[in-house]
Amino acid sequence: MALPHRNTLTRRDFLRVSGAGAVSLAIAACSAPAQPSAPAAGGEAGAAPAAESVLLRIQANPDQETPVYEAFKQNNPNVEAEFISVTGIDHEEVAAKMLAMLAAGEQMDLGFAATEATQLYAGKKLSLALDDYVKANEADMQEYFADVHPSLIEAMMWEGSLYQLPRDFNAANMYYNTGAFEKAGFGHPDPDWTQEDFYNTAKTIAGQEGGSKTYGYAWINRLWGSWMPWIFVNGGNILTEERAPGGEWMWQTFYTGDAAADGRGGGWRWLAPQANLAANVEALDFMVQLFNEDITPAVELGGGETLQGFFTSGTLAMTPAGGFWSGGLANAGMENGAFDVQLFPKWKNQRHQFGTGALFLFAGTKNPDTAWEYYKFGASKEGMEVNGIFTPVTLTTPSRRSMCNAERFANTGPEHWEVFYSTLDDHPDTAPIPAPPISNPMTTLFTSYTARAMSLEMTPQQALDGMQKELEDLYARDGEGMYNLE
Amino acid sequence: MSTTVAVNSQKRRSRNPFALLFENTLAGLRRRRAAIGYLFLLPTILGIIVFTAGPILVSLGLSFFRWDVFSPPRLLGWDNYSRMFSDPRVLLGFRNTFFFVVVAISMQIAVGLGIALALQQRMPTWMRYYFRTAFFLPFLMSGAATGIVIGYMLHKEFGPVNYYLTMIGLPQVPWVNSPNLVLFTIAIAYVWQNMGFTLILFIGGLNNISTEVLEAADVDGAQGFKRFWHVILPMVSPTLLFAAVTGVIGGLQIFDQPYVMTRGGPGDASRTAVMVMYESAFKNMEIGYGSAVAVILFIVILLVTAAQFSLSKRWVFYQ
Repeated sequence: MALPHRNTLTRRDFLRVSGAGAVSLAIAACSAPAQPSAPAAGGEAGAAPAAESVLLRIQANPDQETPVYEAFKQNNPNVEAEFISVTGIDHEEVAAKMLAMLAAGEQMDLGFAATEATQLYAGKKLSLALDDYVKANEADMQEYFADVHPSLIEAMMWEGSLYQLPRDFNAANMYYNTGAFEKAGFGHPDPDWTQEDFYNTAKTIAGQEGGSKTYGYAWINRLWGSWMPWIFVNGGNILTEERAPGGEWMWQTFYTGDAAADGRGGGWRWLAPQANLAANVEALDFMVQLFNEDITPAVELGGGETLQGFFTSGTLAMTPAGGFWSGGLANAGMENGAFDVQLFPKWKNQRHQFGTGALFLFAGTKNPDTAWEYYKFGASKEGMEVNGIFTPVTLTTPSRRSMCNAERFANTGPEHWEVFYSTLDDHPDTAPIPAPPISNPMTTLFTSYTARAMSLEMTPQQALDGMQKELEDLYARDGEGMYNLE
Repeated sequence: MSTTVAVNSQKRRSRNPFALLFENTLAGLRRRRAAIGYLFLLPTILGIIVFTAGPILVSLGLSFFRWDVFSPPRLLGWDNYSRMFSDPRVLLGFRNTFFFVVVAISMQIAVGLGIALALQQRMPTWMRYYFRTAFFLPFLMSGAATGIVIGYMLHKEFGPVNYYLTMIGLPQVPWVNSPNLVLFTIAIAYVWQNMGFTLILFIGGLNNISTEVLEAADVDGAQGFKRFWHVILPMVSPTLLFAAVTGVIGGLQIFDQPYVMTRGGPGDASRTAVMVMYESAFKNMEIGYGSAVAVILFIVILLVTAAQFSLSKRWVFYQ
């Protein structure tokens, strides 16, 4: 008897069914994803009933954030918290990881963003504007804004709305190794010391004979605090900058009569690239000169651990850093008094650059009101005082002027800690690093071409021409619609 | 009438494969056996569909879109591909990857085979096992971890390697700071980690060579390099092909070591194709563009592997 051959379960049939399954899966996966839920308007609509347990998922270092949560929980026993720690060598890398997590469907209520990512999240409508909450809590918020410099607030605004309440900031100041300075016969520099003073100091220290080599100056290749401070003090920037309209509600409500708030707008706009500006080329040329004269070691990408190793071991005399370095150096075993800090030197001007950071409310949070209450508490004096990033060791500069005090830096140093806040107070034109919504690809171009110049693969002019060309392409491709220009 | 009903019933039954399975005939038995076989294959096939074929098809589909995940995708047609072929960073990424593969995989095979031959020499058993374990251990570590450690060891100013070089009067070598040297440095780190696997393959290949063949070579007077070139190498050529194919596939996907050691720098000197793909898709949130890079890399790997198999007919000797 002949077998009904066609009716058997053949390999081909099996694979056909499997293939159909794969195609179905592919089509399903290609379908548009669920959109983040619309931001809840301020008010009670999204609030969980007081007795109902609410879980807040917060992007934070658990060791640092737990004390804040514990203090908050005393008056909010129904609120539970889960901390999601996301690490990276820099804020840009953390933001990239966060975006990947969010793309994969991770649901969070509060995230953390530094200047590098503030407009990135706001531009993608991932963060929630705080305007309604701030206005509704005007009485509570007066104390906070009175304690925080308006330049930090303005840096957290995007297109007229406030997205974050700065928790910390770091301007690029000049840290120096007091031992290396003393050995070379230098004392504490004047606040208005110049680029030439700096060069002579660095050259003298690096040129000293006997003993192990000490570099005069070193920096890390990244957006904040790399050669960006030199760009700023030389009157340049890699992107054009202007103030967005709006923001009057903030300045007129909370900063009336504060001269430092005069002329401020609704946040910064970086509308076009200008990487190969003469001032920028001159600044990069100076960096290459320092490298060629063996004043600066090879420049690397990274988060600063190597630099800290250089500094603590006495191999390095000067580096740009903010208040975050004092705690880091103390934790690395550096004695109080072994290092100090001064303003970045003056070149064409003495305009400094800074970055600031804080939590933000995710637009997709299901508990916006509870999240705001937690946020507000975290920004209060009580909340900030217990935050593990400020206590027991100060690991970054508090955004509150009242928290930048002698007591805070008494154990770790530096002796001239007041430099941190006077950077803002004495130089109100100090501004954030350029970080538009497309800051991630922009940073890649910035660091890539910087490295090409510093490894002598290109001249500074060639590198910045290349950077300019690629930034123009990036802006043409992705820059449209970043800001509400109508 | 009854004949028509019987034929219809037969047709219905023949259309239902499950009914066919339970027929109490020889054919039914064969079908049951086949079904059980496919049942055992099912987890693997499902795994391939969900984790390999599915993502490949999804990537292919996404490569025609502009999509940042957070807003709806927009159809671009071939734009991502045309942009890619004029993007200097992508082209450099592929060039760096090819260069790395040529350097690293040749080194990996040469060193792996060399050490395998050395371990075939007469030595105490414990020593043979010690060396095999020592050379294989790095393969069990993560590429990121070894990259970090080797990065510190080769640090220009701090690294112990340069420390000892300067002690004997040599200049510091900019292992990861020089655009001309960085890919060699990464290749060294990669080979150090992955050579253990190649070594184990070659030890197996060498052990499979029959003693008769080697004795015959001895009788014919083949010694030293001649013995290696004309006898040993042809006999291990199937292993060599396997090591080359798997090595090239792995090498073309290099990511861990350059990412942790240099982040693609200095400049773009060590940026690889997978790094460009990762940065485009997950750092810049250009999922479509990253997918286009992934699709081209997939095609490149496919073509290179096919070419290796095709060329192998000329030099691989199967006993």
